[in-house]
Amino acid sequence: MLPWIYGFHWNAGHIIFLGAFYSVLTVVVVTLVAAARRSRRALLEHRVEEIGWHADFHDLPAQDRVCRHVISGEFQSRECPHAFDCRECETHAKLIQRHPVAMPAETEEDLFGMAFPLDRFYHRGHTWAHPEPDGTVTVGLDELGQRLLGTPDALDLPQPGAHVEANGTAFRVHKRDADVRVLSPVDGEVVETGGADRGWYLRVRPTATGEPAFRHLLRGAEVRPWLMREMERLQLALMAPDDAPTLADGGVPVADIAASYPKADWDAVCGEMFLEP
Amino acid sequence: MASPPRPVRAAPERKTPVDNPLDNMDRHFIARGAVRCSTPKFLLWMAPWAALLVFGLYSAALCLIKGLNQTNMDNRFAFGLWIFLDLTVIALGAGAFFTGFLLYILKLDELRSVINSAVVIGLVCYSGAVCVLAVDVGQPLRAWFTFWYPNVHSMLTEVTFCISCYLTVLAIEYVPIVLRNRKLRQVPSFLVFEFELHKLIYVLAGVGTFLSFFHQGSLGGLYGVLRGRPFAFREGLAVWPSTFFLFIISAAAVGPSFILLTTWLVQKITRKRLVRPEVLQLLGRISGSLLAVYVLAKSIDTLIWINRTSPETGFQAWQYYSWKPFGTWILVAEIGVCGLLPALMLLAPKLRRRTGWLVSGAFLACAGVALNRFVLTVQTLALPTLSFDRFLSYTPSWQETGTFLAVVAYGVLVYSFSFRYFQLFPQERELKLEARQVEEERELVGRY
Amino acid sequence: MISANKQIRAARYGMTIDVDRCNGCGACMVACSVENNVPPAHEGATDRKGLTWIRVYKVDNGEEYPNRRTAFVPVMCQHCGNETPCVHVCPQQAVDVDPSTGVVGEMPQRCLGCRYCMAACPYHARYFNWWDPAWPAGMEKTLNPGVTPRMRGVVEKCNLCHGRWHAAKEQAAAAGKPDTEPVSYVPACVEACPTGAIHFGDLNDASSATAKEAAEPDSFRLLEKLNTQPKIYYRSKKDWVRGIAAAPRPGGAGKENSRG
Repeated sequence: MLPWIYGFHWNAGHIIFLGAFYSVLTVVVVTLVAAARRSRRALLEHRVEEIGWHADFHDLPAQDRVCRHVISGEFQSRECPHAFDCRECETHAKLIQRHPVAMPAETEEDLFGMAFPLDRFYHRGHTWAHPEPDGTVTVGLDELGQRLLGTPDALDLPQPGAHVEANGTAFRVHKRDADVRVLSPVDGEVVETGGADRGWYLRVRPTATGEPAFRHLLRGAEVRPWLMREMERLQLALMAPDDAPTLADGGVPVADIAASYPKADWDAVCGEMFLEP
Repeated sequence: MASPPRPVRAAPERKTPVDNPLDNMDRHFIARGAVRCSTPKFLLWMAPWAALLVFGLYSAALCLIKGLNQTNMDNRFAFGLWIFLDLTVIALGAGAFFTGFLLYILKLDELRSVINSAVVIGLVCYSGAVCVLAVDVGQPLRAWFTFWYPNVHSMLTEVTFCISCYLTVLAIEYVPIVLRNRKLRQVPSFLVFEFELHKLIYVLAGVGTFLSFFHQGSLGGLYGVLRGRPFAFREGLAVWPSTFFLFIISAAAVGPSFILLTTWLVQKITRKRLVRPEVLQLLGRISGSLLAVYVLAKSIDTLIWINRTSPETGFQAWQYYSWKPFGTWILVAEIGVCGLLPALMLLAPKLRRRTGWLVSGAFLACAGVALNRFVLTVQTLALPTLSFDRFLSYTPSWQETGTFLAVVAYGVLVYSFSFRYFQLFPQERELKLEARQVEEERELVGRY
Repeated sequence: MISANKQIRAARYGMTIDVDRCNGCGACMVACSVENNVPPAHEGATDRKGLTWIRVYKVDNGEEYPNRRTAFVPVMCQHCGNETPCVHVCPQQAVDVDPSTGVVGEMPQRCLGCRYCMAACPYHARYFNWWDPAWPAGMEKTLNPGVTPRMRGVVEKCNLCHGRWHAAKEQAAAAGKPDTEPVSYVPACVEACPTGAIHFGDLNDASSATAKEAAEPDSFRLLEKLNTQPKIYYRSKKDWVRGIAAAPRPGGAGKENSRG
């Protein structure tokens, strides 16, 4: 095993054999140590949120990972390669240069009885970001999200001064047996917190300003096709194992969908819609 | 803008009871949306296996405390049931390294849906085999001697080193599967460590392939170097007898088959769709191709052995098969019925598409490898070498069987536990969604 | 055991066993067990689980009465000289061939009990301690202080009475003889054999009786074609006895052998 053990002979067989063994051992130990060191660095650099989102995104089913340009019709099929962070995506940059998103004539989309004002940007996790005149951004739940959660049983809001990042956790909501995190649409520092009663949840001072800060969010003509797809997803999610499909063509979500589906696995439904697998 | 919800149509009558996630008391540990049976039902499933494990541990304890006289092995049958089953189980667990190699090194992405299950199976197989080996040796506390005074000429030394290293690698590969558990990933350090470890998984896959190549081979080499047993002795390349390479090929061939079998079995037991049929067919095709290569290599090797290797030692090959019950049928069974036949079944695209043929082919392939390991372990020792020897027979004692059943029970327990709390089949979620979509379309079509 | 002194005149201790003289009395087996502290058989031991460093087999020529002939063949470790199978396969190097004596020695303290060497040995000369060794009360007085008893779970075999070799070495050293010369001693089985069928000596010493007998035309070794170069030579004037040294006859050809 070791050269100074009685009986050790330096010959080709020993060198090859022990050489291979020690190399393998070294490679395995180095790999573990490298992973540990990188983890430590990631923890110190506060990249937990980013990594958590990447892990969640990876666990989403393939149908839920489609690129926004499939929803708005530019692609037949494409999986998002950047975990919904379109700020990094060259394809997205090229597409919006060639075909900027149109704004529909109305100021507000009325979809399935829900109001989606078009003066704000929507995140695929059902939050919206509204730039305020004073430079801050208000963050809230869109109406589908509100109807999913109804009146939350409990809220875990961040403290003012806390940092949120785009595609990271904005806040946590508890409703019935659901305990789900809601994704933040923007990067920034929390200035003020609101609540379900105030119509918005967070007021954030964004780290980036201008168009690039909101590039990854949906707006204008993208909202309708996205919502139609979300309604389909909701319908599938609500299909409990032994129920027939509900909410077929024309059904409108009530103010508190959860109350109407007492048998549904509400945790799973919320997880599905808020993109927390 | 609220309106009363549409009336729900009466649900169609279901004959089979359906698992409701709300029945799980431990549902916070189970992946969101994954449907698993109720906790009492799960415990009911685990209980008999746990009882079997306890019985097996008792048998093993008897062997450790009272000595190996508790077994029916003797001076002529130095290796018995345990060694035969260890080798079989290690060959079957080869799916772990081979799937890892195909996925992470050769980038066959379809196999991503079975890699986690394969790693668990591999871990169970190897750790079980190592535990049985600890009982099989006369002085288990001296196991570290092999590391301290290694004999680099001995195949068993190579086996010991490689299997220990590989078991470590498998355990490390199992860690990300565990850390992705719903509750555990909420711990930031676990989440981050799993993420970083997974980025380096290809290194571990490469190391695992290298180690597996050598230990599967040296397990074959164990028999091929036995000059004193002309039945097993083979010529080869440099220090490696042909059985070295034959074992590698057969292990690589049967690994995917065993994954196919277990996946099919798990789908049957849990009544869920866990992987796409194309994945199982791909596994079948890989297994079939390698099996065909193996059959060719083995046939050539057998011919050389019959015509040259064995006669040169003074033992005519045909006399090995003159001792009942090991007639030539065993050779035909090993290479033909359990070798060529499943290879052809798995290679035929039309047959592969039918689950019955696919699973039967996989089963025969696994049986063939088990038969091969049996022949080399038991038949080698049963056959006489000295002219005044007798042909001997051996039946395992209940303690030996019990110890081995402990491994089976341990495997089922670990796998069931992993299946419930960890994501062994990433495609399960997608397939469930697709099934719902299909049912919804069927509903709509039925309505209009 | 491994000598670092290059100037030693290496011996190759071997035996010649005259099969025509062996009458199957088994005195060699008893003497060997006594000399080497082999424990008595445990309750429940079968002939396949016992410890018999030397074992006498009864062989016959396969014919029926009145042409049937039988003989007795004592078999112990053959101390293979070429590519010794057990040495190659031991994972812990618990077996080695002593270059100064040619004896294949076993270190029970290092043996793991994996029994790979037992599978490798074509002569079935290695035995495993399936039980803890136990001597009935009072019998411990018969133990030989010059030989280590072995523990449960290790392999043991004939080592050409290495304890006696050690004793002979010590005597030679005490008498002032140089360390580089091989010693002569007598193993227990040789001493006990009433017909003098077993002869022991240094095969490297051309003048020794054993070496001369080994060179005779009627000397043969078991399984010569395996090329293990054993140092135990058997002698017989009968052709059929020489025939048993080759490979086994196929099954069902009437070739029987019986208890060892």
